[in-house]
Amino acid sequence: MSLSHEREDDLIRKLKENFPSDIKETNIIRRGRLEVTATPEKIKDVAVFLRDTLGFDHPNGVSAVDYNRENRFEIVYHISSMRIKEMRDLVLDLKESVPRNAPRVGSLVSVWSGVENYERESFEMFGITFDGHPRLEKLFLTDNWDGPPPLRKDIRFPTD
Amino acid sequence: MSAPAKPVPLTTVESTETSDSGAQTLTLSVGPQHSGSGHMRLIVEVDGDIIVNVAPDPGYVHRGIEKIIELRNIIKSIPVIERPSIIDASNLNHAWVRSIEEIQGVEVPRRGQYLRTLLNEMNRIMSHLYWLSIYGVFLGHTTMFMWPLGDRELFIDLAEKLTGARITYSYLVPGGVRRDLPPGFAEEAVKRTEYFEKRLKEYDRIFFNNPLFTSRAKGIGVLSKEKAIELGCTGPTLRGSGVDADLRKDEPYAAYPELDFEVSTRPDGDSFSRAMVHMDEMRESCKIIRQIVKKIPAGPIRRKAPIVLPRGVAYGRVESARGECSFYLIGEGGDKPYRARYITGSYRNMAAIPAVLLGNRLADMPTAWWSIDYWPVEADR
Repeated sequence: MSLSHEREDDLIRKLKENFPSDIKETNIIRRGRLEVTATPEKIKDVAVFLRDTLGFDHPNGVSAVDYNRENRFEIVYHISSMRIKEMRDLVLDLKESVPRNAPRVGSLVSVWSGVENYERESFEMFGITFDGHPRLEKLFLTDNWDGPPPLRKDIRFPTD
Repeated sequence: MSAPAKPVPLTTVESTETSDSGAQTLTLSVGPQHSGSGHMRLIVEVDGDIIVNVAPDPGYVHRGIEKIIELRNIIKSIPVIERPSIIDASNLNHAWVRSIEEIQGVEVPRRGQYLRTLLNEMNRIMSHLYWLSIYGVFLGHTTMFMWPLGDRELFIDLAEKLTGARITYSYLVPGGVRRDLPPGFAEEAVKRTEYFEKRLKEYDRIFFNNPLFTSRAKGIGVLSKEKAIELGCTGPTLRGSGVDADLRKDEPYAAYPELDFEVSTRPDGDSFSRAMVHMDEMRESCKIIRQIVKKIPAGPIRRKAPIVLPRGVAYGRVESARGECSFYLIGEGGDKPYRARYITGSYRNMAAIPAVLLGNRLADMPTAWWSIDYWPVEADR
């Protein structure tokens, strides 16, 4: 497998050209894996651009990460492309950060309908609210769960 | 959109209400008791016997595995990671060790890669056979329930010879695998796969070419190519909708680049297509197993890997029996990961359940639902 990052560099260049002030950070982890951090205000526009112009039509999942020492949550959309066969080995992590004390972001269900369940899980497990989500309810937790969001870092277990 | 236009009240077990068209609809709760395999509930609203609204209600077998992993050494997590899908344990295990190795920068020796692939493919057959036997239960076909579970023993015994365990192996460890091939394994594997391929022809005769099955599966639960991509479906569900996506070809890992096999796709996107993709994959897996035991190179099976996870991030993924299984792993230098996001094939295909059921008759629900091969435990994690 070639080790060049031309394809990844090209994607990042196109993103930066179109969103000069809204792409805060980019990083190539390795060939086929890149991270793009966008501002929460403009992440939807970036997502639409990724889907319609760059061919990222396939959501692989959404991860929420609790950086409690930095007082923020990170929401990571793992997306890939089915339309462009040569790009199927590539996963782009579209990231956004929100303050831990006001975790509220816009939902991307209208861009990729497949992220609906993952956003619901991030809502119940981390307490992040996704505005515009069609059904922001508990997914895995029991209906009568009234404890704190259990995957947050400050939730300790007796065996911990 | 996969979301129901009007959310079903979750507390309702059975109720009647009036739909927008003025017709009386009935809300039914399918599950959470085993309706075939695994605990989960589907809340189904029917108008007459046409399904007009579906809401999956998972979580009955949620174990909080992502939290458990955060509190454990990366090696001790291996048995935990296998638990969500014990019928496909080694593929999930593979996704985990791949992510760890990616952060550690550890290369696995070629013989180790071949042995991993060998167990992965045996697991794929075992998992598909389990799926098929439950499909037999769902469709009231007792022979198709008994035969696959019986033939599954062929590969369970092989796996036991190789790993020492029948179902949950913990065979893959960072840096390689735990045990080498036992003596006489190659001959035994060839014999068993050849016998099994003959059995697959009998499966075709009694089930897949049987009008009792085809008339119930063809044209039922159609998932279009565009919808399958948009919903993020994966594995046989995606390939049954005509997308030739398979990580074993698209992002070749382990020994797959050196092996000859076909990716099976069917264009129609109905229950029959998804079922046939499973059948094709079992045939291809037999081919792969025979190639591996013939071509496996000599050499070490394992390289020493550290038991700490350096600072770094990885998105490691493999093609498991139900589709892409991935870990988004963040290391911070200790022996535990900072975050290990665990996304499985069943979890991803959950989004397809409403899409394949809406508009079908309630009596067709088992055919359409189980053709997705949704494994509740794997989805809940």
